[in-house]
Amino acid sequence: MSPLEFTTVVVAFAVYVWLVSQAGKQATDRTVFARPAAVAGGVLTIVAALLPWATFVLNDGPYPAKSTLQFFDAPFELGGFRAHLALFGIVALVFTFVRIPGRNRAIRGLGWGVGVISLVNVLFIAINGGGIGAVTAAEGSTAFAGFLGLIAGVLLVAAGSAGGIEPIPQWPTKLPTAVAFLVLLLSFAGLLWVVAETLTSGGLGGPSSPYAGPEFLSYLGFLVGLLGALYGIGLLRWISTLSEQHRVFSMIVLLLCAVALPFTDAGTDYWMTVAVNIGVYAATAIGLNIVVGLAGLLDIGYVAFLGIGAFVAAQLSGAASAKLAGPIGEVPFIIVLVICAVVAGIFGAIVGSPTLRVRGDYLAIVTLAFGEIFRKSAQENIGGLTGGANAVPNIPPISLFDQPFNEPISAGGVVLPSGVLYYFLIVLLIAVVMLVFANLKDSRIGRAWMAIREDEDAARAMGIKTGKAKILAFLVGATLAGMAGAVFAHKTSTVAYDSFQFLESVTLLAAVVLGGMGTIPGAVLGASLLFVLPEKLREFNEYRLMMFGLALVLIMRFRPQGLVPDRVRRAEFAGETATGESIEQVQEKAVVEHEQELAEAETGPGPAAPAGGGEGRARP
Amino acid sequence: MSTLLEQLANGMVLGGTIALIAIGYTMVYGIIQLINFAHGEVFMIGAYGALFAFMWWLPSGMKEDWYVTLPLLLVIGIGVAVGVAVLMERFAYRPLRNAPRLAPLITALGVSVFLQEFVRVFYRCPSPSGGEPSACATSAIGFPEAFVKGGVHVSIGQGFTIPYAGILIIVVSLGLAVALQMYVGRSRMGRAMRATSADPDTARLMGVNPDRTIVITFVIGGALAGVAGVLYGVRYTSVNIDMGFLNGIFAFTAAVLGGIGSIKGAVVGGFAIGLIKTLAGQYMPGGTGYDLVWIFIVLIVVLVFRPQGFFGETERVRA
Repeated sequence: MSPLEFTTVVVAFAVYVWLVSQAGKQATDRTVFARPAAVAGGVLTIVAALLPWATFVLNDGPYPAKSTLQFFDAPFELGGFRAHLALFGIVALVFTFVRIPGRNRAIRGLGWGVGVISLVNVLFIAINGGGIGAVTAAEGSTAFAGFLGLIAGVLLVAAGSAGGIEPIPQWPTKLPTAVAFLVLLLSFAGLLWVVAETLTSGGLGGPSSPYAGPEFLSYLGFLVGLLGALYGIGLLRWISTLSEQHRVFSMIVLLLCAVALPFTDAGTDYWMTVAVNIGVYAATAIGLNIVVGLAGLLDIGYVAFLGIGAFVAAQLSGAASAKLAGPIGEVPFIIVLVICAVVAGIFGAIVGSPTLRVRGDYLAIVTLAFGEIFRKSAQENIGGLTGGANAVPNIPPISLFDQPFNEPISAGGVVLPSGVLYYFLIVLLIAVVMLVFANLKDSRIGRAWMAIREDEDAARAMGIKTGKAKILAFLVGATLAGMAGAVFAHKTSTVAYDSFQFLESVTLLAAVVLGGMGTIPGAVLGASLLFVLPEKLREFNEYRLMMFGLALVLIMRFRPQGLVPDRVRRAEFAGETATGESIEQVQEKAVVEHEQELAEAETGPGPAAPAGGGEGRARP
Repeated sequence: MSTLLEQLANGMVLGGTIALIAIGYTMVYGIIQLINFAHGEVFMIGAYGALFAFMWWLPSGMKEDWYVTLPLLLVIGIGVAVGVAVLMERFAYRPLRNAPRLAPLITALGVSVFLQEFVRVFYRCPSPSGGEPSACATSAIGFPEAFVKGGVHVSIGQGFTIPYAGILIIVVSLGLAVALQMYVGRSRMGRAMRATSADPDTARLMGVNPDRTIVITFVIGGALAGVAGVLYGVRYTSVNIDMGFLNGIFAFTAAVLGGIGSIKGAVVGGFAIGLIKTLAGQYMPGGTGYDLVWIFIVLIVVLVFRPQGFFGETERVRA
């Protein structure tokens, strides 16, 4: 993909997103338009799904010559994104005529989904088909379905906004335990399905599947619509409330789902490798989340701890150049894990020690300095421990009970891909890390960290030993990263300094920020996104870092609290209280109450004034 | 002896460049308390902008006369750098003026990555054979020696040469720093800057337009970074897209060392960092491989034991 094409794609996306949000804004609360627009949008979506999407008469001759694109041009054959569009269109029509609570929000979500799917496909056809001619009518062959889809997206979003965005409906949360368990089981099974579908959608790219990237993006559009609709009718919030009520059960089911992933379509060598990498970075990101998300200490050299863990594990392994393993022989992995954790923890405490005197931005710079010192020392092969530019090669795989971890295994007649044992190991590690994180967060020390994050001086005044707590945050975070590093070293079998550069630290920080600071699902989700997207969007590989930089800026601008915000964090970033009310609502409520009091004081107890606004998005 | 003198001279030249960048850091931090990570990239992009103009637009007849080329390069470098600095203030930082402190810092990291990659992806060199222009910013590109070639020969011991371009850097950086010090100290705008830095709300009450003041600060910082970028290219005769990140970190270290918010401090800190880098590379164990490490150790020690630096007025409490 050339820079010009890339720029076209980015600009087209920006313009369309702006257009749709403007349409939504202009249409807000014009109820007259709501139903007609929704009907029109829904019908247009279905029509778009049924019409052909590409015509190549204008280009290099009729399309059999361009057969790579023919799947876009098969009228009345509903597959792939066209099935998604048809589904969205039908659901939008159903929502138009059936009074489901929260339907307007759901229609808006569907509209975004329809718009994104259409835009991705229109752009892809236009760019690969040699121009805008590929998506318009030409020489008797009509293919304006793409534009119908784009218009339908605008119409649906406008219709949703015009109908008046209602508060998210509450579903009954006091259910019999058995029913709740059933709902949770089903929803986590759905989650597993979505994850497996997301990983496998569009295939892996390469010559066999040249449109993997666009197909994947189109699938993301489908997810946008699906999740938007489910969120709108209150289903997602209901499930999250249920899973909070039955936390232990949800954790077990989630763990089972993770273990079940290799048995789905995503169970290939390739995806297991990617999943292990994601797992390593997710575990590190959770560690970083303790430092940044809980204690509020910005660390932009964090990848050094992962590196320390990896190098220690490499030196303790049976690799030819390993220095430490020589005298004592090969060390069992469990012990390696502990040693890595301890060494990384010690370095964490050292890096954390300036926190006693340095705060805020300056602390960020200190951590950056430590990270760069580590990277530079590793590059220069300090003490002969890191191999410098030669790296530490040929680290043998982990072997437990005479089962090397890099070989495929068969369980119950099903042959699982190689690397699956590493996957199970990293799932186990993440489960442990999550447990540590969750327990710490609710413990005395976790509350101390959060107090320090909010106001260090106040925390000290409350009797918290801030110095000790801050160093402990670094220590615990680094320990988790060190353990992840041990797995990383054995899985990749070569540890080199350039895996631990400044950019990796920024990526980790971005994972935490993108997912939502201070939450576990956030860190895992952020790490997954940042590693799955580059794998899927190979065509954009050249522009990966550029989009990454842009994404950081845009997230900070439009959603600084992250995708899965922590309640307290959300309060801080989005001006909401911990219960989800906006500050304005709270103030309004206070004013109304105050006026009421004044009125009562003047006239004596009278009839209660009608309650003002402020119900809003209050949580139960 | 001559080695020491030569390294001192090298250190002063590097220090001059770092000082020019550090002034931008220190002024921006002084006024909006933001570590503008992307400032190093402004320096880099100034150099690339000037190089682009030199490659594509300058008639080849003029490329030989340094008194034509150098001013042109400087003007274009300054223009590009100022443009980028103003754009990033307007679109990345201004919307976050009242956001929690973490937000603008992460934004600055994002802007830094974006600018670096933007140059890498979109920069084009003319093909020598007249074919399609090629993306050439993936590795270092040669920069024209657009100043009097050669240098002053110092014949002490074995003797060494200080290039004229190096002397130019030292003179320009000191001259600009003095001019800027006077501007900030005496002009109306300078007073507005100091007022905004001390207390933005009160400054607003006194009729200072904070947005305008902040933009002017970014313009000055960008211009100095542009000058630094062009002169760096002229002196070291090659540029690469990583140069912004490392020199930016050096410059930030210099700004902290000198006392953040102080122009005098930034200059002194810049020369100090330049000297530390060359001398540590020469005399400390590990040689040039570890010169970076020494700078970072100095940075950590200064931050821990004297966070207000050489010339910082009072210790600011940054929460």
